Amino acid sequence: MNEWLVFLLLFLAPVISSVPIVLAYKSEKWTAKLPPLSVFGIFVSVVMSLYIFFNIEGRVPASPNEWVWVPDLGINFVFMCDYLSRYMGVITAVIAFFIAVYGLDYMKGDYRPSWYWFFFNLFTASMLLVVYSDNLFLLFLGWEGLGAASWGLIGQWFRDDDDITYVGREGRKAGPLLLHWPPSFGGWRAISTIRFGDVPMFLAIAAIWVFAGTLNISEIEWGSLFETIGAVGTIILFLCLLMGLFTKSAQVPFSEWLMTAMTGPTTVSALLHSATMVAAGAFVFIKLTWYIEPWTLHEVPGLEYVYLLVLFVGLLSGLYGALAGSGMLERKVLLAASTMSSIGLMFAAAAASFWVDVDIGGMNLAVLVAFWYMAVHAFAKASLFLVSGHLIHATHSRFSCGALEFGKKMIPAFIVTIIATTFLVGIPPLTAYWVKSAMDEVMEHLFHDLGFLPFILLVLTSVVYSGLMAKFLALNFIKGERPHHEQIEGGGLMKLGYGLMVSMLFLLLYLIFTSKETHEFVAAGAVVKYGTITLSFTVGILVFLAFIFALYKPQISALTKLGTFFSDRMYLPFVNDYIMPKVGFSLSHVVHEYGNRGIDGFFNTKVVPGLFGGISRGIRSIQTGYLSRYINIVLGLVMFILIIAVVGAWGL
Amino acid sequence: MMELPMLIMVGALVILTLCSIFSFKYRDLGFYGAIVAIILASSAITLSAPYLIYYTAFVFAIGIINIASLKVIKSVIQGVDYGLVGLMVLVTLYIFTTQNLAMILAAFVLVSVPTYILVMVREGGANVEVGIKYITFMVLATVLFLIGAIILAYSKNLPDAGLLYIIGYVMLVVGLSIEVGVAPLHEWVPDVFTSADPIPMSIIASLAKIVPFIVALWILIYTAGTLTASITIFTAVLAAISMFTGNIGALTSREHARVLGYSTVANMGYVLACLVAVPLVLVIEGGTVYIKPELVYFALAGGLLLLFANAAGKIGFFNAIKGEGAYSPLMYMLAFSFIGVPPLMGFWGKLFILLPLLEMGYIWLVALLVINSAISIPYYIKLASELGMGWKANLTNFICVAVAVIILVTVAFLPVEWFLTGMKSIAQTIGAIV
Repeated sequence: MNEWLVFLLLFLAPVISSVPIVLAYKSEKWTAKLPPLSVFGIFVSVVMSLYIFFNIEGRVPASPNEWVWVPDLGINFVFMCDYLSRYMGVITAVIAFFIAVYGLDYMKGDYRPSWYWFFFNLFTASMLLVVYSDNLFLLFLGWEGLGAASWGLIGQWFRDDDDITYVGREGRKAGPLLLHWPPSFGGWRAISTIRFGDVPMFLAIAAIWVFAGTLNISEIEWGSLFETIGAVGTIILFLCLLMGLFTKSAQVPFSEWLMTAMTGPTTVSALLHSATMVAAGAFVFIKLTWYIEPWTLHEVPGLEYVYLLVLFVGLLSGLYGALAGSGMLERKVLLAASTMSSIGLMFAAAAASFWVDVDIGGMNLAVLVAFWYMAVHAFAKASLFLVSGHLIHATHSRFSCGALEFGKKMIPAFIVTIIATTFLVGIPPLTAYWVKSAMDEVMEHLFHDLGFLPFILLVLTSVVYSGLMAKFLALNFIKGERPHHEQIEGGGLMKLGYGLMVSMLFLLLYLIFTSKETHEFVAAGAVVKYGTITLSFTVGILVFLAFIFALYKPQISALTKLGTFFSDRMYLPFVNDYIMPKVGFSLSHVVHEYGNRGIDGFFNTKVVPGLFGGISRGIRSIQTGYLSRYINIVLGLVMFILIIAVVGAWGL
Repeated sequence: MMELPMLIMVGALVILTLCSIFSFKYRDLGFYGAIVAIILASSAITLSAPYLIYYTAFVFAIGIINIASLKVIKSVIQGVDYGLVGLMVLVTLYIFTTQNLAMILAAFVLVSVPTYILVMVREGGANVEVGIKYITFMVLATVLFLIGAIILAYSKNLPDAGLLYIIGYVMLVVGLSIEVGVAPLHEWVPDVFTSADPIPMSIIASLAKIVPFIVALWILIYTAGTLTASITIFTAVLAAISMFTGNIGALTSREHARVLGYSTVANMGYVLACLVAVPLVLVIEGGTVYIKPELVYFALAGGLLLLFANAAGKIGFFNAIKGEGAYSPLMYMLAFSFIGVPPLMGFWGKLFILLPLLEMGYIWLVALLVINSAISIPYYIKLASELGMGWKANLTNFICVAVAVIILVTVAFLPVEWFLTGMKSIAQTIGAIV
């Protein structure tokens, strides 16, 4: 099959297949019939991603300058089918497809189906573009597509007419700030935050083009690029780039938008949190690190600071997300906080590669761990979101509720939640345990250079995270309040969606044990090494104990105040909703007072009109009509000019 | 033994003179005599110098329109006025065919002097006050110009003529500036344009502007030397002052004729800018003098196109003032040409002047030229909207149609390559003398 056609279908099938439903937006009959076509478009992408997985490897097109677009600016169609993108492409397409199937049921009867399906499919296509692009500009196009689609989807229920779509408790205030956000505001918070990061990222890409002469990630001579721009240049370049990645991946202090992104439909939350958007930031960092190979560039000045920054931003985001989530009761917001935490660990693991030069079949252990954690997290988190969507439908509440009696009525959802939570937190010997063990080992490698802090932060995060997931399980199926509303009939496609999704965790477990590149994970998860119990296993046991404890006691009344502090996300909303707007208003005030009025004064009211008036008066005052005056002026000027000319000529 | 074209030319002059004399008895004779003389002279020029065909065609058209427009007024010297305009046309046609300095200077005077009488023409008498104002400055201009030209010609053969060259250059440019109305030596322009009759003004503002520029360009190229590049800044500054003065004056004037007077000041500033390109003729390289006339084609073509566009526009607007309005679309077309909207003739004129200026690094002058074109938009549009009205089948409207056709020529023959080719031949004849 022609490679050109494969990529064309991969990216365009989802978009084109959602065009009919957009065109039919006025017809209720057609918008009810057309969603399967949109799902089919994503299915085509699944097939194409699988085709690429099994048949295409390396750079596409193989020869440079083949699929050119704007060669003068290094903007060309260049795709990279390496280990990362081949796996990630399949993960993205498959998750999007399962969620889309689920969405057929979940979004039935929605008031904006055309809007939803178009942006959902655009979301998927954009992420696929990010995954496969080797060209940074092409990647940035996908990146912007993600931004636009997320805004559209988070604000899907733009009418703000149903509290179930809100985030936060009605009437809850912290100081002057109302902690209750409608979907329209959620969309705005998302797009404004990521725009804030995209602009510096765009500048960073432009700088890379200027200094490296190519935009293809795999072809850039990263080492010599950093040498060229020096330590300060390297740090500035990365800060600009990381602004894009951190805002997109909701790392502290840019995490607020992700919490209120839960105002969108649950399917959107599922996709946003697993395989697109937040994953995109971490994925791009992993991909860049893969090609930068920082572990070989220790002599480059400035690079270490960059990776140190990412490591700690990641670890702190991890801990912050887990702690904030531990105080929450809203189903989706709790999961959102946990996602932020997981993404933080991905960043941290990938950043640790700077100090961890452990090679596994040509791949760096730390980068591989980060990527595999992304894969496991994607399926588990998507499953949990889909379950909570079903729960919201069934209980008509966005807050966790449901006792064992309710759990028995929702057996598939219950089972899926048990699997997804236990497989995700790192309980031995379930899927994430092996990846987390390898992550522990990566942090152990940092003992020499950075001390115990990274490891301690990781363990703390893992323990709190485990309790968080157990709390979700307990409060929704075992020990929660009895729901006021129960509607447990139907939802077949929803069950199919999360059933398929969670089954992937078993496939991943199988792959971990059978793939060559993951044998180090299995080794890292060993119970005993050199005659003693390993740190990884100890952490696994701690995680398990935390899980059991939280399952037994999901809420501790003595810690209510602390829980409220966590639930208010440690008052970080102030940054987004209070400090930033204040800064923005003062900036616009300054621009208005001193910029606009200056410009206005120059062009419209003072300088230029004054000059015009003055010159015009001067010109007209000459015209008295008296010949003698004219002769005086002209003869005077002639004499003056001649004298000047003579004096000037003498000087020559 | 005289050659045939020269004979025809002399014949045209004789016919023109005789018809003007006898027009005292038979008034129409002056008109027909002028027409015949122009036709004869145009054929003579085309015969002797085929490459001048485009230039000849434009001058011919403008001349005929000027003469026809005189039909609108009944002057006391009707008959002779045709002869005077006929003489100016003949000289304008002739100017590129001679390479004799004496003849070139004579041409300058011959185009200038008839305007002294024309400016006083009005119905039922003579406009003596305007005449005095005008003639005073024209005499001063002519004296400065001629002395400047002669000093330049004389200094050409001197081994070390730095001071003399500069004085000659400055006098010539100052003389030219007073003659055509370049600021800050433009004081006569607004008064004369407002007080004189619009029809003779349309001739003074159109046909009479062409020869002085050609003569100045000819002499400057003929005498260009190592100092030319340094002194050019003087012309550039004068051009810039004129653009601003003209445009701001026009922008803040109400009377139509006064607006057109200031617009002439601005336009002469643009045209003066093409004299800035003269040093492009010479490139000093290791003491050797290379002649590179091809870079001057653009300046020459731009200057002429702008002069023609200015002539057509001024004829149209002045006739509209005389006829108390003209067909609205024609007025707008003239306004757009003045502003420099592509693909009308005014645009090509400005563009062709900009290119050599850019080549020479006069970025600031290019920027000022563009800014000034923008400043001029409001008053041209205002002029068009105030003078524009419905169609009436009168002479004024037909004259406006004729001038609109002239500025539309560049639309029909877009690339203007044909004109440049003509300019190339003309520039080469000038270059050959250098």
